[in-house]
Amino acid sequence: MTPIPAPPVLLSALTPVLVILAAGALVLLLDLVPPRDTKQHLGGLALGGFVASLLASVWFWDADLRAFRDMIALDNFALFFNLVIGYAGALVVLLSMDYVRRTGAETGEYYALVLFAGSGMMLLGSATDLIVVFLSLELMSLSLYVLAGLFKTRLDSGEASMKYFLLGAFASSFLLYGIALVYGATGSTNFDKVAAALAGKAPDGLVVVGLGLMLVGFGFKLSSVPFHMWAPDVYQGAPTTVTAFIATGSKAAAFAAVIRLLFSALRSMQPDWTVLLWGVAALTMTVGNVVAIAQSNLKRMLAYSSVAHVGYMLVGLVAGGASGAGAVLFYLLAYTFTTAGTFGVISLCGRTSGDESVDVRDYAGLARRHPLLAFVLSLFLLSLIGIPPLAGFVGKFYLFGAAVRGGYLWLVVIGVLNSAIAAYYYLRVIVYMYMREPEEAIPAGLVPSFAGGLALAISIVGIVLLGVMPAPFANLAVAAVAPLLK
Amino acid sequence: MSTSVWLIPAFPLAGALLNMVFGRFTGHRAHWIAVPAVGASFVTACTVFARVARGETFTGPLFSWIVAGDFEAPATVHVDALSAVMLLAVTGVGFLIHLYSAGYMHGDPGFARYFAYLNLFLFSMTMLVLAGNFLVLYVFWEAVGLCSYLLIGFWYTRKSASDAGKKAFIVNRVGDFGFGLGVMWLWTALGTLEYREVFASVGNLAPPTATAIALLLFMGACGKSAQLPLHTWLPDAMEGPTPVSALIHAATMVTAGVYMVARSHALFERSGTALEVVAWVGVATAVFAATVGLIQPDIKRVLAYSTVSQLGYMFAAVGLGAYAAGIFHLVTHAFFKALLFLGAGSVIHGMQGEQDLRKMGGLAPRMMTTTITMTIGGIGLAGVPWITAGFFSKEEILSAALGGRRYVILALLLLGAALTTFYTFRLLFLAFFTDPRMSREVARHVHESPAVMTVPLVALAVLTLVTGWVVGIPSDKGTTVFARFLAPVFPVHEGHHGGALLLVLSFLVVGIGIAAAVSLYKLGPVRADAVSQPRTPLHALLLNAWYFDKLYDRVIVRPLYALSVFSAQAIDLGVIDGIVNGLGRAVVAWAGAFRHLQTGYIVNYALTMLAGAVVIVGFLLAR
Amino acid sequence: MSPIAFALVAAIAIASAIGLLVKKNPIHGALFLVVNLGCVAVFYLGLGAEFLAVAQVIVYAGAIMVLFVFAIMVLIPGKEETGPDPRVRWRVAALPFGALLFAQLIMILGARRGAPTAAPAAPVPGGVEAIGRLLFTDYLLPFELTSVLLLAAMVGVLLLARRRA
Repeated sequence: MTPIPAPPVLLSALTPVLVILAAGALVLLLDLVPPRDTKQHLGGLALGGFVASLLASVWFWDADLRAFRDMIALDNFALFFNLVIGYAGALVVLLSMDYVRRTGAETGEYYALVLFAGSGMMLLGSATDLIVVFLSLELMSLSLYVLAGLFKTRLDSGEASMKYFLLGAFASSFLLYGIALVYGATGSTNFDKVAAALAGKAPDGLVVVGLGLMLVGFGFKLSSVPFHMWAPDVYQGAPTTVTAFIATGSKAAAFAAVIRLLFSALRSMQPDWTVLLWGVAALTMTVGNVVAIAQSNLKRMLAYSSVAHVGYMLVGLVAGGASGAGAVLFYLLAYTFTTAGTFGVISLCGRTSGDESVDVRDYAGLARRHPLLAFVLSLFLLSLIGIPPLAGFVGKFYLFGAAVRGGYLWLVVIGVLNSAIAAYYYLRVIVYMYMREPEEAIPAGLVPSFAGGLALAISIVGIVLLGVMPAPFANLAVAAVAPLLK
Repeated sequence: MSTSVWLIPAFPLAGALLNMVFGRFTGHRAHWIAVPAVGASFVTACTVFARVARGETFTGPLFSWIVAGDFEAPATVHVDALSAVMLLAVTGVGFLIHLYSAGYMHGDPGFARYFAYLNLFLFSMTMLVLAGNFLVLYVFWEAVGLCSYLLIGFWYTRKSASDAGKKAFIVNRVGDFGFGLGVMWLWTALGTLEYREVFASVGNLAPPTATAIALLLFMGACGKSAQLPLHTWLPDAMEGPTPVSALIHAATMVTAGVYMVARSHALFERSGTALEVVAWVGVATAVFAATVGLIQPDIKRVLAYSTVSQLGYMFAAVGLGAYAAGIFHLVTHAFFKALLFLGAGSVIHGMQGEQDLRKMGGLAPRMMTTTITMTIGGIGLAGVPWITAGFFSKEEILSAALGGRRYVILALLLLGAALTTFYTFRLLFLAFFTDPRMSREVARHVHESPAVMTVPLVALAVLTLVTGWVVGIPSDKGTTVFARFLAPVFPVHEGHHGGALLLVLSFLVVGIGIAAAVSLYKLGPVRADAVSQPRTPLHALLLNAWYFDKLYDRVIVRPLYALSVFSAQAIDLGVIDGIVNGLGRAVVAWAGAFRHLQTGYIVNYALTMLAGAVVIVGFLLAR
Repeated sequence: MSPIAFALVAAIAIASAIGLLVKKNPIHGALFLVVNLGCVAVFYLGLGAEFLAVAQVIVYAGAIMVLFVFAIMVLIPGKEETGPDPRVRWRVAALPFGALLFAQLIMILGARRGAPTAAPAAPVPGGVEAIGRLLFTDYLLPFELTSVLLLAAMVGVLLLARRRA
């Protein structure tokens, strides 16, 4: 038997992911030793994991490492997404330390799974091989499926988990089928080799179908129309902090994989996927916004709103180029802060019993009871509408600006019209908070803990900073997509 | 110069922040911060104005705001004659209204919040005027809208107030939709948004492109300045406190559209068609709103429609190329309309919140200052020859129409003027000079407002009286001092001025208007139930403002909502799902949950996904 | 693998899959699944992937199916799910869509007939040694990643299964 030659292993290319995985393992171990009555220290550890990963990502900025036979890359693109996901994870952990404890569901496993999901997300940003893409996607999804069902005593939580799992598995099968077809046609799963095999030839039918099926799989994770239908049910049923993670982290990670796949491996098929995404973007924006109007459950409304925002971001992909892809990255950063903050406020408005205030009527007169909380939520909603000078406005500006320059004027018209419609349902929440009398007694437990308050403060600083001084961040985003466009 | 320019918005911003953060401590003393802040801003504006009068201009960047690839939009400010005039009007009128508010809002629980919003508005408005490129303009265009929304809904306990705020915001979004697209298109077409560069290079635009961009921008102006067909929000906006109506919905914010069109005149001229559209929309709005104003029973709604109508005159002026005349009317209108609103506020204040003209009358002897100053304002609005500035500015507009041989427009504007005169004097008669129609209880308490409110009234009345004589008299060459001051921005059209013919016409329409008002409301006793009664279909049409609101409700609002509900039910079966689960929730525990889950619906979702996959693959194959 | 053998096994695979779908008794369904998985193992064998074939039988047809049957017996005491299917029309509606997707794939394959396929990956022996070699060299990362995935799955199961809420 010939000895197996030791393969070259460049672990440093995995540093941010390994940090998080290590934190996850440590959480599992420390869960076994006292203190047993509180798990706050494990939350602190999880937070430390995300923060350390953020620091590592900053440390590695401008690195260009490839490892494990080119299966992963640690370039600026991956690092940018590490930042987005790291922030999302840190905010979610901070909010969880308040919310999950209050609802009595705090366990060590919860934090471990958040960390595992986070590592899967970060790997998606690094993956340059379809197999790694698939495995990371599953690592992320599996953890989120379980987290969505955290509230075992509540039916809608279990239902969310079940629906998410079944439909997610269904979507994964499409993705896998697409991967298989691309592998069959090109003989490789490596992005660069796929690109090389496709370069300069008329698109192979198998690859075309493979592209379509992979987009179905990713479309599910992105919740783009018509693969969005799980979103409202899952957003509504899942614990609010988990919803925040699904809305921010998993979306960012799926975008990372899609952008890398489309811009590097399937670059030569840009004409095909551009036209396809044009339609998907228009449909996604419109359906998301129109249906959101009729929702009175805040979490369902935000689910449709997140569908709509995915539509805006797809506009950036259609626009293409450094400006288009860069705009998507910037928007994801802005959206992460805004959405994490919005769900954060909702998680804080829950009643102590674990029953949540998710109907828009529950927010009537919030401004009277908790002026600060109402003001903070208003800021997030205004950013979602896209009112300057908050992050949402600048993000939309970049996206639509890139599309205008790419010549997709009609898509921009649809987009801008949609964001005008969107004002209606976001504004309704503000109207309820400031201009309606509360209908019932004040629910207790509305004072955020230090962790929750810190998360909201970070989000607020984020959306204001991105709105007032977007230039450095936009440059970062453009620098991040540069490695893909070489 | 640069430092002093920055102080103009900085003072109100500081005031707003102070009252926002420390509102709990400033409380009922909030005006001690807010009013001096605006006063300081006004003084600074005066010094800037003086330097601009000596011929200085200033353009400077604040910081590099939005960078996207090769595109960079620094937050630039730009000060020239036009912005100097606007700044003076905004801060001057703003200061008087802040002062007035200190009396009017006295004792309101939201006193500090009110002044914080008002300061914030003044900050946004001065920044809007100072903006040196379209992007900054757009940002503060939105910002003033937001402040307007906050202030309309200020008394949020009234449902009508919060609804009106929402309506204003959403109707403005429709306009801003066009405005935003116009700005983006401009950027694509010219690669810059800086005023100077844009206006220098509009020649590179093909006229159809210029038309499209200009019309999109004008769409924004229609929203902000309440022109047809986006005017419906302004009358409802009267739900806000009266000083807010005076400041935002008469004197300053609503004129932003006129300012923007005048500022971008190079672009509109490049198109030509766009300018024509502006003129006709203005004329149509001027006449339309004047007809609605004829019959409204609410004193503030009369003034609101009259504002819409007067804004129409301004647009007609800029549409005719008489930019200086349009801006001149903007300034004089700011004076006399703010005066009228504040006067109306004084009346409402003196009558314990009554706004219904049918229940007023005979206030003249009890409220002398208010009566005199408001009459001056009314004379300004009606444009009675020579007395006030309103006459001079309106005369400029009419003479532009006459000089351009636009006789149809001239005739319509004259018709509007006759209607304006009628409803103005109707308002004055019904409020002050007819027999009292209020209840005895109310009548006993009618009183003149405190000095803090009457001083601004007198100041505005003086401004209304003298401005015209100082800067509005045409020279031999037909240009006014005002127009010559703006000459660096707008080329001066020398030549024939309306002269005697126009004067005769003005006398005629004002005479007709006053005569009609006198015959209806002054000759005989006025019965309260006879005023504003829809006796004929025409009355009903006017009373309901030509049914625009109903039309929009039927054609846009309801169908959109129905579509949403329909889509929610057709696409989002989760609605039904949720109901079913709600029934089961109470009884079913986790262990047994799996069997009771609505797995059937997952089939629906999965089927949709499958269908989507088929469509996507089919589409890719078909290409 | 001879074409006739392939056709035979393929027919069994398809038939068993349909059987799995239409059978209302879950135990019967599970047995059909065993047959189906076995057929797939035969395919692997035919392609020269002996290790995969064996693993398929041991892991899927063996371990996992046993688990399935256990779970069914514990959770669903009755023999059959009762009552009419409330969503039968939706299930039937899936047929034409499935058929369409199938037709699209056939179309592609038909269009590609005779077209030069991309150079297939160098055929590797499917034995244990070759697989092991690959797993510890070229596919080291996916291999390790799978272990993390399994860890996450285990933790998740523990979290969901534990009684203490």
